[in-house]
Amino acid sequence: MTATDVTGTARADGAAVARDAQDAFEAAVRPHYANLVRRLVLVLGDPHDAEDVAQDAYLKAYRSWDRFDGVDVRAWLYTIALRLAFNQLRGRRRWLAAIGRIEPRTWADPADPDLSAALGTLDPRTRSALLLSLVDGYTHAEIARMLSVPEGTVASWISRGRAALRRELDLGR
Amino acid sequence: MDDLDLDLDPNLDLMTRLSALEARAPGPAAPPELAHGRRRGRFALSLAMAPVLALAVVGAAAAGAAVISRMAEGYPGIENPGQPLAGANMECMTPPDAAAFLAAHGYTDVDWQVESGTAVTPEGGKGTSSSVHVTTPPAHGYVIPGSRLPGGRVIMVVDQRVGATGVGACFGHPMP
Repeated sequence: MTATDVTGTARADGAAVARDAQDAFEAAVRPHYANLVRRLVLVLGDPHDAEDVAQDAYLKAYRSWDRFDGVDVRAWLYTIALRLAFNQLRGRRRWLAAIGRIEPRTWADPADPDLSAALGTLDPRTRSALLLSLVDGYTHAEIARMLSVPEGTVASWISRGRAALRRELDLGR
Repeated sequence: MDDLDLDLDPNLDLMTRLSALEARAPGPAAPPELAHGRRRGRFALSLAMAPVLALAVVGAAAAGAAVISRMAEGYPGIENPGQPLAGANMECMTPPDAAAFLAAHGYTDVDWQVESGTAVTPEGGKGTSSSVHVTTPPAHGYVIPGSRLPGGRVIMVVDQRVGATGVGACFGHPMP
């Protein structure tokens, strides 16, 4: 076998490995993508922003696929996406402030406008923590790791967020 | 399926409604295409084209940087990373407190842009608002850190609109 043959074989192997990694990534992550966008709509309040952030998160996740620990792909994807979402929100507010415009952009569900409005009153991090807890069933410790905050902060966000929603929706207790 | 009385448990009711709300939120059909692997061949360039591409990239980057730097020089956000008040969280202060804070850091020439009106309509649409520029800070309203203009002047926004939520660390807190 010549040097050229060896190089060619190595390239072919590398391409096959890359294709395998891409296939593995898509098989694992793709099923969570639509739900991720929906989650981001609730967190960011804007479907277009949600899709932008979801796409960024998907590509970022793909680039760091080799660092995924293999435990919970949804938690991993949501962690990447939520951090991007918070950065995006911070940037958007500063930009709107810098140009002197304040433009509320809130998606509202016509089927449950009260809950949409109530959710919109919460801080995005509180909203995220509440959804991760109530909808996804993650523990406070897991949410703390995902949002990079102390567990006590998560407990406080969830408690206050739940109380605020109950109050807004007149659910009692 | 069991007959559940969801009204008995506010947590369960909340969980069910949140799940349903999320399920009704718009979601796309498919994630973006990954360029790596399958599509790589379509974009492969010959070595002969590499210097041309490099020159084009450098030229575009230089032109872009020049445009961006001119924009950024004009209106850097007062709390942007790298700016003197980065991370000051003025959004959590009352306007007079923010004015005092700015003055303590040497910013005495402040243009206060006060937004009033409504943030949203009763139907949930975009409300109507108007803005006035004043030189003394209003007594109340959400402070939104603005920009540092050439000459050291600072523009700050105060949101007094009905239904406003505040921004940043004090998003959702009561209006000062």
